[in-house]
Amino acid sequence: MVARWQAELGMAAFLAVIGVITIIGAMEYGVGWSPSGPEPGAFPFYMGIIILLASLANALRATLPRLRPPRWAEHAFLKPEQLRLVLGFTLPILGLVVVSLMLGLYVGMALYLFGTLVLQNRYPMLKAGLIALATPFLAYLLIERVFKVGMLKGPLEAWLGL
Amino acid sequence: MARKLGIALGFLAAGMAGAAAQGWQPTKPVEFVVTSSPGGGTDNFTRMIQSIILKYKLIDQPIVVSNKGGGSGAEGYLVSKTAAGDPNKVIFGTNNAYLLPYVAKLGYKFSDLTPVAALALDEFLLWVKADAPYKTAKDYIEAVKAKPETYKMGGSQSKDTDQTLTSILSTVTGAKFIYVPFQGGGAVGTQLAGGHINSHTNNPNESIGQWKAGQVRPLCVFSPARLPAGPKVTETQGWADIPTCKEAGIPVERFQMPRTVWLPAGTPAGAVQFYEGVLKKVSETPEWKEYIARTVQTGQFLSGDSLKAFVANDDKLSREVFEREGWIVK
Amino acid sequence: MDGFSGLLHGFGVALTWYHVMLMVIGVLLGILVGVLPGLGAPNGVSLLLPLTFTMDPVSAIILLTSMYWGALFGGSTTSILFNIPGEPSSVATTFDGYPMAQNGRATEALSFAFLSAGFGAIVGVLLITALSGWVTQFALKFSSPEFFGVYFLAFASFVGLSGAPPLKAAVSIALGFSLAGVGMDSVSGSLRLTFGFDVLLAGISFLVAVIGLFGIGELILTIEDGLKLDGIRAKITPRDVLRTAAQMPKHWATLLRSSIVGCWMGITPGGPTAASFMSYGLAKRFSAYRANFGKGEPDGVIAPETADHSAGTSAMLPMMALGLPGSATAAVMLGGLMIWGLNPGPMLFVERPDFVWGLIASMYLGNVVAVVLVLATVPLFASILRIPFAIIGPLIVVVCFIGAYTIAGRPFDLWLALAFGVLGYVFKKLDYPIAPLILAMVIGDKAEDAFRQSMIMSKGSLTIFWSNPLVTGLMLLGLVLLFWPLLGTLRQRLRPSRV
Repeated sequence: MVARWQAELGMAAFLAVIGVITIIGAMEYGVGWSPSGPEPGAFPFYMGIIILLASLANALRATLPRLRPPRWAEHAFLKPEQLRLVLGFTLPILGLVVVSLMLGLYVGMALYLFGTLVLQNRYPMLKAGLIALATPFLAYLLIERVFKVGMLKGPLEAWLGL
Repeated sequence: MARKLGIALGFLAAGMAGAAAQGWQPTKPVEFVVTSSPGGGTDNFTRMIQSIILKYKLIDQPIVVSNKGGGSGAEGYLVSKTAAGDPNKVIFGTNNAYLLPYVAKLGYKFSDLTPVAALALDEFLLWVKADAPYKTAKDYIEAVKAKPETYKMGGSQSKDTDQTLTSILSTVTGAKFIYVPFQGGGAVGTQLAGGHINSHTNNPNESIGQWKAGQVRPLCVFSPARLPAGPKVTETQGWADIPTCKEAGIPVERFQMPRTVWLPAGTPAGAVQFYEGVLKKVSETPEWKEYIARTVQTGQFLSGDSLKAFVANDDKLSREVFEREGWIVK
Repeated sequence: MDGFSGLLHGFGVALTWYHVMLMVIGVLLGILVGVLPGLGAPNGVSLLLPLTFTMDPVSAIILLTSMYWGALFGGSTTSILFNIPGEPSSVATTFDGYPMAQNGRATEALSFAFLSAGFGAIVGVLLITALSGWVTQFALKFSSPEFFGVYFLAFASFVGLSGAPPLKAAVSIALGFSLAGVGMDSVSGSLRLTFGFDVLLAGISFLVAVIGLFGIGELILTIEDGLKLDGIRAKITPRDVLRTAAQMPKHWATLLRSSIVGCWMGITPGGPTAASFMSYGLAKRFSAYRANFGKGEPDGVIAPETADHSAGTSAMLPMMALGLPGSATAAVMLGGLMIWGLNPGPMLFVERPDFVWGLIASMYLGNVVAVVLVLATVPLFASILRIPFAIIGPLIVVVCFIGAYTIAGRPFDLWLALAFGVLGYVFKKLDYPIAPLILAMVIGDKAEDAFRQSMIMSKGSLTIFWSNPLVTGLMLLGLVLLFWPLLGTLRQRLRPSRV
């Protein structure tokens, strides 16, 4: 189980890192005030400072029990069964992204749809297969044929000569 | 009648395409990569060519246009590297193809681009507000010289053509401007019409509407010769009535922006020849000539050695400016 | 020729069977483009552009603008049904539209959205018809400081309202501004915050962020509730649409205020997206039911939709009269104008009255056609909600990722969409407000550019923001709106002590 304060602390730490990265990135271009106004890095620099300081304050609030709002204790951030549901939904999406980047979006979406419908939602194979094949086909017609926009493709499409 | 002629031309062009079909031919859909966002000058250039190719069926495969205008177009030129050797991706741009790598740290080098052709040169003019007291370009430059760094010169983007031209202007005349970068030619034009800046160097078709309306007025054109006479723009004047800047006493011989076409690195020579042939035919169609006339560009087809020579010259000129201004990143 | 006689002439031009057919085709294509996240109106319009090169300019612009109206309407549909804004300008519609749909009021929400959008559009065209000359003169007064004032005003009227913990709101806003700063900085011409990664060259697309934060983030939240949603059993009858229509007059104040905000942002031009946020902010500020906002308050749908469409239509005026595109879509049309051989500028009204007034007349007709067509699709779209989540969930995921890719054809955007999805989910669970982040991303770089251009003009002196009555007024109004919530709490604190 993840408690609310733990999640708050983790998020604050993550954002503080983002803040530091922004500050470092901004420093490359000068953060001062030149005769013609602020230098290119000035604006992102101060935004980074705000992110960093506010996140440190948020982290402090999460760490010290006295500063925590009372309602944080009422609900857990994530119960184990919720975590299972969230991961069960998000991990296949991660798979979709990885497969799509390797094999193209059409193959990715077909595999993703088939996988989630059959394995997760216990959908009959035939129906799931139909949806998994029809969706990329419709997407192809609409995106590439009607609107003539290129889609992320992989070896299969190259082999088919699309 | 006109339609019949069109059809006849279409057959003729198709026949020519057939004759040229000996060498390389695209075998899958061709992607036209535009190095500007939708609506930009390069976007119009590309879509015009696309529509002419479609009309005369110069390419047998379907054409997909994709806008990759991020990072002033660098995103589009990067395709030359990520799709190295892919002859089905054609990149459309301007002279920033070879100038961008100077001013920003990018993942491609100019040598990654295979030159195909340039189809047109876009002209630059010096514009002031219509009710400004300056009669000639010389008057204006003298006024700027008298009060350095008070006159505002607007332009689109930074370290791009407009600012380069402003820098050249400053160097050769000694007139110091405050350069203010805006998002695009339209915004720059409105700022001048509203009197918020003193001058700009817009392309003709970016400011023709405001010239017609008597809001702004051109002083000179940065071209070796006067622009071709078309129909009169205002009641008394047409494009050919604008003196060249050299005539007007500003020693800038020429400043023009080429509209260019490239292929990725390592593309077979046959493919380069194929697209060169296609674009050559495009540049000879009446539609293309009409487009050039309407947008007041100079139609000039450059390829092979003539293109190389132009690029080398333009590159040298701009590089000098970039070095002087300290824009070059290492 | 101006005003009424011009308009009559225009109707003569626009009211032909051919043109009405073009409107229907344009609107239908637009709805399709608008419904799909990612494939937005600018893409759609630029795809049609080559087709129009051989058309008469009047017919061409009617086709393109009708597609734009269709896309604006379509974009709201997915906002309300799935929390996925199909168009950037319909982000604010999700705030109350989606909760309404969740409460089984999808038909009502969609009808409110379309009817108020139609109303806003008509107000926008009326403004163009009646006041084109004056408006154009007014728009010429705007330079960088005034633009900064406009963005500041839009921002000030929206922030400070979310009720989120202030520290978290600050992080959200600053994060949005930082994300907007990634990529090419147009004022200095150098790349910022890209750390040498070519994938960051083009910046972080606000649309990808929206698809992730809203669409995917919301899906994860739904899943986490553990409810295997069977879909919402909403009975849909045409009568629901009519009943909602009958309620419209009750919301006259919101309609009026939002139209004014929309026209203002369309002309200046601050853009439809900022207009919808600003209008939502003001509606909430002036509403008697402030606490209901974000939970399914009809005014929260009406306000952004009205402003969005009146901004979209009135932005056509600066486009034609000044050559200034008020939105990404207008930029594409501007390109079309030049290719058709028309030169935007005040003389366009004199030289080609058939074009200008034909377009204006077609805006009345096109929007009416769009409202009718889009209302007819309400039952169809609302019935999608009845599909069990087990099927529609994965399908929405697929549509989101197709959308994320088609925005710019960047494979990296798939990663970004996923990352923003997770971020959106965690943000929502930890009370980090998402809306200010989005608004900061939309106006961040424009506001920064305007600020720095002003500084170049004034050689670094801040007094330029108080240099004329217009910009002073904008800044003052912005400051008042920014501190309004603070004033409210001050008043409340003072009151008991007096009694």
